[in-house]
Amino acid sequence: MKKVVVKICAGTSCFVMGAAQIQALEFTPPEDIADKIELVEVRCMNLCKDTTAKYNRGPFVMVNDELIEEATFEKVVEKIREVLKNQCD
Amino acid sequence: MSESLFIEVSKEQCQKYGEDCFGDTVYTKKIPEERRIISILSDGLGSGVKANILSSMTTRMAMKFVESNMELLRSSEVMMDALPICQIRKISYATFSIVDSELEGKTRIFEMDNPSFIFIRDGKEVKVKSRELSSPKWKERTINVSQITTQPEDRIILISDGVSQAGLGNKLYPLGWQRSGCVDYILKQIRKNPYISAYDLAHGVVREALEKEVEKKAGDDISCVVLYFRKPRKLLVLTGPPFDEDKDKEIAEMVSLYDGKTAICGGTTANIVERELCLKCEIDKTSFDEKIPMASKMEGVDLVTEGILTLTEVYRMLKEGIDKQKDNAAVRLANLLLDSDKIDFVVGTKINIAHQDPNLPMELEIRRNIVKKIFRILQDKYFKEISVRYV
Ligand code: FES
Repeated sequence: MKKVVVKICAGTSCFVMGAAQIQALEFTPPEDIADKIELVEVRCMNLCKDTTAKYNRGPFVMVNDELIEEATFEKVVEKIREVLKNQCD
Repeated sequence: MSESLFIEVSKEQCQKYGEDCFGDTVYTKKIPEERRIISILSDGLGSGVKANILSSMTTRMAMKFVESNMELLRSSEVMMDALPICQIRKISYATFSIVDSELEGKTRIFEMDNPSFIFIRDGKEVKVKSRELSSPKWKERTINVSQITTQPEDRIILISDGVSQAGLGNKLYPLGWQRSGCVDYILKQIRKNPYISAYDLAHGVVREALEKEVEKKAGDDISCVVLYFRKPRKLLVLTGPPFDEDKDKEIAEMVSLYDGKTAICGGTTANIVERELCLKCEIDKTSFDEKIPMASKMEGVDLVTEGILTLTEVYRMLKEGIDKQKDNAAVRLANLLLDSDKIDFVVGTKINIAHQDPNLPMELEIRRNIVKKIFRILQDKYFKEISVRYV
């Protein structure tokens, strides 16, 4: 089965918005998804510089091709599980 | 020797247990016009405030005299006259060691009553002949004068008697650690790491002296100054995208053409260099830390870090001391800065709009300001040679 690619933004503004907590996926991933994900740390994806948005919607995380705004550890894990489930179906 | 040396000077001190100020004083001054560095260690009689006043007076006076090249014997008479006299020992009491170094290689050392300086060359202690001077007025005090033509990788170390006498009263060290114990320790450290910085060595000596003390409580003021002579180590720090995008290529090429180590601080800056030089850049997960974004690895570049948060943390550590337990990006950058002698900063002035967002949970410094603070402290506290260019 193809691994789910998770890109976590490690840029300054995503980092202060809480990306560090999501990086925990790297070291202490929930058991059920541990070997099914591939984590990639990326630098600023320029999403934080979107001036049309009213406020910063970071931290930004991409799960495969899906963008998660205001990402949290839980939100990302949930999304990964959803993607995995869809892959199985 | 034609090539001019760089001298890394660093000190570490620990005050006598229970006192709230240092009885020893260390004072270092760089005189760039004369390409000269003067470093003085003075130990005031006793400890605490009184000793502090004696030793600070001594260093200030000595600095003035040495700086203006006043005749030494005369100067020391003036100093001894000026200092208050100890009732019991009838001597005006503050000892001193003065190292007066010219970057072209000539170094003179003047000492009165401190443990004699330690000179290390080629991994060995070398004894230096000295001349003794004494003033007719203060016969019981003598001053030793030595001269050395320094070479790259030489080290001169000054210690106060708090170092040589550390451990006195401890069964394991009935006579204290002694100067010889300290020399052995220094040689061992240099054998382990021939390029050990003055900063690490001075800290190591004081830490080790403290280890010897009963209950690890300093029985006297413990001070160590290390002067490390070396060919200047150069570092280029690139931080921030240039105001004008046309300059991207020029900035990136600075990295590939630089004749020294290079560091990039800032995600966008790293992106520019990666793009312009077609280099691959990958996050280095071994630098994980909850407070500081991870460093990255890029071929041909010694360190790549995030920008503002890392720089802000580096500034804090340069002020308060480096976190030895951690290995995050900021610690790596701070160590790289301290290990370098000549640092060229290239600072991009483009403002990152995302950082100005009032909704961010913390306030982010403006790059230009934090870099200014960093280079001031590198200049004033660590005696680095700094150049800054804004683009
Ligand atoms: S810092 Fe994450 S998108 Fe800019």
